[in-house]
Amino acid sequence: MRSIVDFTQEDIKLPRKEILRSQGIPDEAELSENFEKTYREAIDLFRELVEPKGIMAGITISRFEEVFRGEELNEQENPVEEIYRKSNYLALFAVTLGPVLSEKVTELFDYGNYAIGYMLDSVSSYAADILTNTIAKLLQSKLAGTEPMPSTWLVLSYCPGYCGWHISGQKKLFEALHPEEIGITLNESCLMSPMKSVSGVLIGGPGEIHEFVNSYPFCNTCTTRTCIKRMQDLKQGQSHIHGG
Amino acid sequence: MELLSQISFNLQNGFDETVIDLTKEAVEKRIPPDEIMNNGLIAGMNVVGEKFKNHEIFLPDVLLAARAMNGAMEVLKPLLIKDGIPIKGKVVIGSVKDDLHDIGKNLVAILLKGAGFEVIDLGNDVPAEQFISVAIEENAHVIGMSALLTTTMPVMKKVVDMAKDEGLYGKIKIMVGGAPVSKPFAEEIGADAYSYDGANAVETVESFFREDS
Repeated sequence: MRSIVDFTQEDIKLPRKEILRSQGIPDEAELSENFEKTYREAIDLFRELVEPKGIMAGITISRFEEVFRGEELNEQENPVEEIYRKSNYLALFAVTLGPVLSEKVTELFDYGNYAIGYMLDSVSSYAADILTNTIAKLLQSKLAGTEPMPSTWLVLSYCPGYCGWHISGQKKLFEALHPEEIGITLNESCLMSPMKSVSGVLIGGPGEIHEFVNSYPFCNTCTTRTCIKRMQDLKQGQSHIHGG
Repeated sequence: MELLSQISFNLQNGFDETVIDLTKEAVEKRIPPDEIMNNGLIAGMNVVGEKFKNHEIFLPDVLLAARAMNGAMEVLKPLLIKDGIPIKGKVVIGSVKDDLHDIGKNLVAILLKGAGFEVIDLGNDVPAEQFISVAIEENAHVIGMSALLTTTMPVMKKVVDMAKDEGLYGKIKIMVGGAPVSKPFAEEIGADAYSYDGANAVETVESFFREDS
């Protein structure tokens, strides 16, 4: 199964509280009038400029093994390998918010509009995570519609650069998925363009396969730590934002 | 309210056009440019920095103040040069070769400028050689490097090694930062400091100058 997804504005919900939390702003914080104005302008710009697209393609475990191995630079022990081997369904994916948003952020900084540039960048980063979550849910509902899928199954995303999957894994992933079809390219350093793009694998299976103990050596230097929230959500039987 | 206090107050509130106008007015009234800078602009930025540290205001507020500061400094800079008033310090900054992420680096540059440092921003995708050559040409005090990808972090070590080869090690301080960069990594490659965010980068650069004085 390979499909291109044209997302709509409705697919990208922008919960204010969560966005502000992602900027380290506590819920009870009193925000200045300037801050509020900047936030509103950034949201309006985002809505005007976003061009969300996605692509996903099913892949067998044996074929994914080769993609995952990448340039042989993964951490020897890592949770992704444990998880995908126990999965029932795998799909490579890539999502993007399109090139115009990133160009606008650069333009805003170039012209000294730092506050709104920062806010637009921050909103866009959050939205890229939302879009990743959305494509995972989309696959989950597709699987539910086509085969008998127990309600305890969960589709979650894992990405090169996180959880021991080396960033250079992007190369093999791109060779297998061809996200160029939706305008995403990769440079020599494995940096995607447009900037606000995410790629990785969607892993579907019983919820418990996604659980792992975050005590790998690389967990000490991880700055995202989204797995903590993921574990909590899993225990409560909720879906959540992608963890790696 | 006296003029310099007005400059400080308006800067704290991010009213950039008013700050620029008041700065011009202060120049016309023959207030020495270093006094305008120190007692108006930097005084205002210090309040902003303190409020930011105490979570009374947040990064967008700081950036609005920094925009006002930068606008006013454009007015003062030629006068400061003319009067031979030394700058606080010069920082060469950039995202390393093959890394096109520049938001974090931009924020550090803006905040450093806001703190009164001269910043030479080399942009992104900057080769190691360029960091070194510009730092030498400009007599810079600090090189600041940002990387957002593990694949581009080795360029940071290359810059440190080149600084050693050029005899700059110890003379020019090297500061590194970016999401995958850590304090142990900075120590491993021989950088002088690691900064985890923009505000911390300003504190780090300030500390270099305290060490030297």
